Amino acid sequence: MNITGYTLLEIIKLVKKRQITIPEVTSFFYNRIKKFNQRLNAFITVLDYQQIKPGIPIAVKDNFCTKGIKTTAASKVLADFISPYESTVTDKLIKNGLTIIGKTNMDAWAHGSSTETSDFGPTKNPWNIDYSPGGSSGGSVAAVSAYLVPAAIGSETAGSIRQPASWSGVIGLKPTYGRVSRYGLIAMGSSLDCPGPLTISVADAAFLLKVIAGKDNYDATTSFQEVPDYLKKLEKNQKFVIGITDEYFEGVLPEIKNKIFTCLNIFRKLGHKIKKIKLISPKYAISVYTIIQRAEVSSNLARYDGIRFGNPREFLGSEAKKRIMLGTYTLSHGYYESFYKKAQQFRTLIIEDYIKAFKEVDFIISPTTPTTAFKLGEFEKYPFFGELMDMLNEPASVAGLPAINLPAGLDKNNLPIGMQIVGPYFYEDRILNLANQFEKETDYFGVIKKGILRYQ
Amino acid sequence: MTKKTRLKIEQILHLADLAGVKLTEAEVKKYQDQLSQTIEYVSNLKNYHVGKAKITYQTTNLSNIFFPDGEKNQRAFSISEALLNAKNKKDNFFKTKKIL
Repeated sequence: MNITGYTLLEIIKLVKKRQITIPEVTSFFYNRIKKFNQRLNAFITVLDYQQIKPGIPIAVKDNFCTKGIKTTAASKVLADFISPYESTVTDKLIKNGLTIIGKTNMDAWAHGSSTETSDFGPTKNPWNIDYSPGGSSGGSVAAVSAYLVPAAIGSETAGSIRQPASWSGVIGLKPTYGRVSRYGLIAMGSSLDCPGPLTISVADAAFLLKVIAGKDNYDATTSFQEVPDYLKKLEKNQKFVIGITDEYFEGVLPEIKNKIFTCLNIFRKLGHKIKKIKLISPKYAISVYTIIQRAEVSSNLARYDGIRFGNPREFLGSEAKKRIMLGTYTLSHGYYESFYKKAQQFRTLIIEDYIKAFKEVDFIISPTTPTTAFKLGEFEKYPFFGELMDMLNEPASVAGLPAINLPAGLDKNNLPIGMQIVGPYFYEDRILNLANQFEKETDYFGVIKKGILRYQ
Repeated sequence: MTKKTRLKIEQILHLADLAGVKLTEAEVKKYQDQLSQTIEYVSNLKNYHVGKAKITYQTTNLSNIFFPDGEKNQRAFSISEALLNAKNKKDNFFKTKKIL
């Protein structure tokens, strides 16, 4: 049976109805990976066929520790690191009938927005292999976009799920900070890091979020809030008030703006209200994020001493060194007050700004990224390329809010455009409800299907 | 506008030393430019008055989270698991360079 383009939930249903067996599903995706991965470099590790445990195969970003499977975070420091324990996220996936078929490429330590800082070579954008898929979850989005797996798990610190999902034309959900456990996720910015699903349907994202979310005794920052049945919450269409703000359209390519305006008209047609609001310009969130993240990076990457595990610090790549040094600078005596402390205070203002906005509207919609995919090699020209590409994602990350990327069409070069929906804390169910209405109405203008059909 | 930030070579070398990273000569020059530019950009916060805004360390307002009493900590490694990835070990220990 040819299951090309079937969603994760559809495949699970077929297996339950015995129309296809698990080994058939596994070999279907295994063969697709063998056929197309060389072109895309989406995976750092693909399991040997015999090594794959029974289950529906999905891919996991290579910064999730997987017991007995190599975990590199795309850095040569961990080139041969075999995790002695399982991350909470992968543990939950396995316990829910899924299996890991491979570990996907990423920017080394998730530092970047193009997957080019990977020590194992860049991932290519499935829509045009001269272009970057975005990052840092570039391998995960490429694998989903080209349908080498039905779904994947990525992680986001600020934009690393939404931005590559936007550039490669898939659905990417970044949950509320603390909704999903970080235990076993190789730490980057601990006050920001957040695992999330990358999928080809909203229902799959809802299903996977339910699987991976929840309180975890091994991550003290996970929330006690009950995890709703996200799939059930999709059933009844709700009506919402959607906020838009000029600040999030500044510096955005006209082509992208127009596509987002088209989408807003669709939401109007579906009975939602659009309301103009005002938010603090994202240009400050870039600074807040850069300062906080670099500080946390310098602390988190201090543990790589090559003594207990991994290779010595000489193996750190250029981007990691740069980030550690900037973090060291902003935490130094004399600079702490003017940078780190100020950023943490500003963070409060961003949070308050959102809370105020969410008294008037249910969501804020904007483009996910100011441009579509860049050509590979471009990022070298900018000292903090990632922060600029992620500028529309950073405010929500700094505040710890949930958000989703949905494909919104193609640009003149046939590259995907993404729309972002940001909601209040723990509003994932309502974000998914609105996203599902958009999916039913537009089918993403055929973007996801076209992406898959390119890989036959 | 704030005056242009330009890190000195000595500062770059000092930061590298503190951060425990080794730099090539080319990297020192590159980082001098790139880190200076980044610091220049993030200094835009200085133009924004934050007043007495509180510091946010935890976005979802959790506090005093403890491991539940009586539950078994399943994170503990056996000695062989803990040593699994160590390049230098002796008996049941990690082997490091001499400190003193």
